[in-house]
Amino acid sequence: MSLIGAPVRRLEDARLLTGHGRFVADIVLPRMLHAAFLRSPHAHARIHHLDLGRARAAPGVSACLGGQDLKPLARPIRAESRMKGYHATDFPPLAVGKVRYAGEAVAAVVGESRYAAEDAVELIDVGWEPLAVVGSVEAAAREGSPLLHEEAGTNVLLARAFVQGDAEAALSTAAVVVGDRFRFHRHAGVTMENRACLADWDAGGGVLTLWSSTQVPGLLRDALAELLDVPAHRVRVVAPDVGGGFGVKSALYPEEVTVCALARLLGRPVKWVGDRREDLLTSTQAWDELIDARLGLAADGTLSALSARVLADVGAYSVHPWTASIEVIQVISFLPGPYRLPHYRGEAQGVATNKAPMGPYRGVGRPVSTFVTEALLDRAARRLGMDPVELRLKNLVRPDEFPYRSPSGVVWDGGSFVESLERARELAGYAQAREEQRRARERKRWLGIGVAVYVELTGVGSAIPASPGAAINTGTEGATVRVDPGGTVTATFGVACHGQGHETTLAQVVAAEVGTRLEDVRVIEGDTAASPTGTGTYASRTAVIAGGAAMLASRAVKEKALRIAAHQLEASVEDLALEDGRASVRGGAGRSVTLREIAAAAYAGAKRLPQGMEPGLEATRFYDPYFGTASNASHVAVVEVDVETCAVTLRRFVVVEDCGRIINPLIVEGQAIGGVAQGVGAALLEEVVYDGDGQLLTGTLMDYLVPTASEVPAIEVHHLERPSPTTLGGFKGVGEGGTIGAPAAVANAIADALAPLGVEITELPVTPERLFRLVHCSGAREPAKTVGGLSQTRDERDA
Amino acid sequence: MTVRLTVNGVRHEGRCEPRKLLVDFLREDLGLTGTHVGCEHGICGACTILVNGEAARSCIMFAVQADGAALTTVEGLMRDGKLHPLQEAFREHHGLQCGFCTPGMLLTALDFLRTNPAPTEAEIREGVSAVLCRCTGYHGIIKAVEAAAAQLRTP
Amino acid sequence: MKPPKFDYHAPASVDEALALLGRYGGDAKLLAGGQSLVPLLNFRLSRPAALVDLNRIASLAYVREHDGQVRLGAMTRQRTIEFDPLVARKLPLLREATRWVGHLPIRTRGTIGGSIAHADPSAEYPAVLTALEGQVVARGPKGERVVTAGDLFRTYLTTSLEPDEILVEVRLPAMPPGAGWALEEFARRHGDFAIIGIAAVIVREGSRCTKARLATAGAGPVPLRLRAAEEILERDGLGDAAIEAAARRASELVSPDADIHASAEYRRHLTGVLTKRAIKRALGVARG
Repeated sequence: MSLIGAPVRRLEDARLLTGHGRFVADIVLPRMLHAAFLRSPHAHARIHHLDLGRARAAPGVSACLGGQDLKPLARPIRAESRMKGYHATDFPPLAVGKVRYAGEAVAAVVGESRYAAEDAVELIDVGWEPLAVVGSVEAAAREGSPLLHEEAGTNVLLARAFVQGDAEAALSTAAVVVGDRFRFHRHAGVTMENRACLADWDAGGGVLTLWSSTQVPGLLRDALAELLDVPAHRVRVVAPDVGGGFGVKSALYPEEVTVCALARLLGRPVKWVGDRREDLLTSTQAWDELIDARLGLAADGTLSALSARVLADVGAYSVHPWTASIEVIQVISFLPGPYRLPHYRGEAQGVATNKAPMGPYRGVGRPVSTFVTEALLDRAARRLGMDPVELRLKNLVRPDEFPYRSPSGVVWDGGSFVESLERARELAGYAQAREEQRRARERKRWLGIGVAVYVELTGVGSAIPASPGAAINTGTEGATVRVDPGGTVTATFGVACHGQGHETTLAQVVAAEVGTRLEDVRVIEGDTAASPTGTGTYASRTAVIAGGAAMLASRAVKEKALRIAAHQLEASVEDLALEDGRASVRGGAGRSVTLREIAAAAYAGAKRLPQGMEPGLEATRFYDPYFGTASNASHVAVVEVDVETCAVTLRRFVVVEDCGRIINPLIVEGQAIGGVAQGVGAALLEEVVYDGDGQLLTGTLMDYLVPTASEVPAIEVHHLERPSPTTLGGFKGVGEGGTIGAPAAVANAIADALAPLGVEITELPVTPERLFRLVHCSGAREPAKTVGGLSQTRDERDA
Repeated sequence: MTVRLTVNGVRHEGRCEPRKLLVDFLREDLGLTGTHVGCEHGICGACTILVNGEAARSCIMFAVQADGAALTTVEGLMRDGKLHPLQEAFREHHGLQCGFCTPGMLLTALDFLRTNPAPTEAEIREGVSAVLCRCTGYHGIIKAVEAAAAQLRTP
Repeated sequence: MKPPKFDYHAPASVDEALALLGRYGGDAKLLAGGQSLVPLLNFRLSRPAALVDLNRIASLAYVREHDGQVRLGAMTRQRTIEFDPLVARKLPLLREATRWVGHLPIRTRGTIGGSIAHADPSAEYPAVLTALEGQVVARGPKGERVVTAGDLFRTYLTTSLEPDEILVEVRLPAMPPGAGWALEEFARRHGDFAIIGIAAVIVREGSRCTKARLATAGAGPVPLRLRAAEEILERDGLGDAAIEAAARRASELVSPDADIHASAEYRRHLTGVLTKRAIKRALGVARG
């Protein structure tokens, strides 16, 4: 069996299971100091004065800096973009003049221990002048609203629209139009490892090293070089073991800049380990969008038009490099979903408010777009009296239509949209589930079945930037594959792992392509000094882009190895096979050489090599998939709603996903299920709440509710392995998908369960409080009394 | 103050402020960084260790409180250079991704299986709900604990 | 999130602990299981001058029967209670409630005295103490006094214990043989504090209810005995109509506050729903 596709047990597990992982907080350097930050208690305020004297004099304190002190040491972060209608703004690593969200770093204390540094933070005296808080997008976009960034002249930091055809005209003539105002509330990524970083300045070589719990060491290296005026070849960024990322660790953070500046200033290593309070206050958050959307259909259920206006709360700052546009532009890019849609208009605005910055989070925009589109489809099905699965099947892009250009200009290279839904319907036992639902209703139990279908663009190449107009290149990755004289292989990458198992999957690709044993391949990544140029891991790109680069580099090495082997065996290259670290002559009665013997010759030089061959056995290759490739899936959720307590229980969750050619099914399943669990959290539990003064009310894990094992159902994952027609290796990305489909499927299942009560789900998460309002307070019919009559209505519709 | 304790069968002595959290003492003073700090308010469970054989959060205990105690951390689970059956099951069933919650998850599961050696799936879910995992969706963890329970039951 | 500095004392006896409380004159805090206090210290929301750690006072951990009561030393761990055979026999409601307290690793450290003295109105033990009409024993410089559940809880996180007193024992009357019990709780996640919890004890003779006890968690600043609802059952029996009426009455008796997880209306609504469920489940296990 080929190593690609094998359920190999992970190579990284042994160290992580025995306490030998190495996370940033675990790293200790000689003379290391510890940083703590004074964080703003106000959401919007001017800093009148900042008195650091007492903190500087406190025992065990080496330094204390405010924003003015840091200014000469580091430039402010600024997320630039070529996108029209976007206003770039400064994000100073320590606030200068004013603060724009509660939790913003105002001053940094460096001390002998974190305890001492936190003690000194309390001695800092700040003169605050509170300003009017901009607490909502509606208020922020209003004429005359206080401005967060005066220099931008507006709180609307970006505006953009995608248009195809004439959606308004089509809606005015559509047989059925369904529409509503939807809201997906603010979400936090909550990686189990908080953000952390450690900077070391080597004065001798003028070299800055930053260990950071980041997804994007390459991006950080480039950004830090610029902000700190250190040539890029003297900046090294290392992402060691990273305890989860989910997009939250894919931006440049103020603390990373500050600890670097402090380490250089003090000539000592400076470590900052964020605590959970800081994580919930300051790590980038997700979603928080208001969507007014209308969908028009012909009487037979054919989609004709979708029109949507999306207002996104982007928080106080635009994060580097993604800018404040990353989330909301994805919403309007992907609202059309995997469907044929002739007319589309999607308008987006990103509005600054006094909240933590918005950033990319697993799924980016698509959990929101999928929620809206799939909810509208279910409503349309109810209006038309069609089965929701049938309505979708009628409108999904069919295999013969690929490549298909979506109304927002994304090209779907292929996919199994129809097949995945048909298979999900079958595996979920859809017909039986409907029957069970009918019988349950007679017993006053409220079961619901929800379906969501989505397509996502993964492995995005250079044709489409991962964030529109952002001043970075995200379309390529490199791989170096090196055979050492002992015949073992080291493969280095610019990507960085935060739980996906790259040390296993990339080793599988390299071992398979070189033709050697898995245990003879070691993957090194997440270290800019060790790897070819790359940016990091985000946007479901690693399998496609780094995997592609791995194939190219491995093939180059293999090709050279075979030429050397042919020379050694006096055979022709065409007659040789390299497998399990041994090149043998086909039908050659055991004539073979090992990779070790080949490598020894490669480094021995001209004497042992074919004439004119350069010594050495390694190759670096880059890969650019250009457009990127479509991953797709169908999710089916079965829920039961307790209408008395308003509790929602997930009975079943079925995923049929297509991530192309699978490298390791265990890991694909893990990604899909982990993604669904986060989507379930987003649908039912997780919500970042600010009060009207911009104070965070969900600043602990007692209030921000991450699902536990008791809230996540058993999730069934089935694979449709339809290789990408466009990417090297046929791989497609799989990291985000679970989170894209799950909120929509759960929301639709709840709406389906409560359809007899006339309840529609327009807001996520569907908390018990929101369900209580919907079922018991807003004119929904009393469930107990009307159950018989309503199930009859349902029967008529189904008939 | 002086703290004397046994960790994974090895006696240690250290001096620290009374306010030093037990997890910080383990990590900083004893260099045992396998125990992780996730929330410092007793919710996430990443810092769970065994205190005198029972699972407890080391982020909401002070080191001075562990004076005289016998602790087990993730570093102490291997036997004779081999993975503990529970560790082995986590690897076999893909019960970890980023690995940050894993030490706390392992020690919680170990204590849980001691109190309930033949649990149902629902009981396992309840047992490990003491620890938050953001990567796996708990699927591999539940399977691993199920498998380890069976393995640990066979003498 | 590191705690501020404090003096630390780990006395070996209650007398020693009382002397320390006296010495700090109200600026010291007692450290029991620490599962609520240490998070508050880590957030620097609590800044005592000293911690008086009760964990070294071995004489404060016990479960014993005395005079129709089960007496639990204040430092008895929740985990001990969960697995204690006497508790299982005499106080099945306490045992059931214990499983709702956090998670096993929390119960390893958490104590019954600490939970009750902390007086979180959403916690299970204060509701159980109230439903079972239990008492606590407080020892202070002037000696011991017994405080009934009804007199103990003043408001959020506040009891009638004096700053120089230590809660040393919890006394719960053994439940009558054949009594039915239930703790119904609604929380957003497993192991979280209750949005609403209802503790119920029902003693029946056929369809007559000779004794009903109902108490809340999460329905206001203190755990509340739902006396008027109990009376409906004791008067009208255990038929569906009486249970419905008692549940309705229960929801009228509470005046819950709102927080980010639940509004007052929703909590009131849940009080009714869970009261009904608790009575029905208690009835299901009651004999007589």
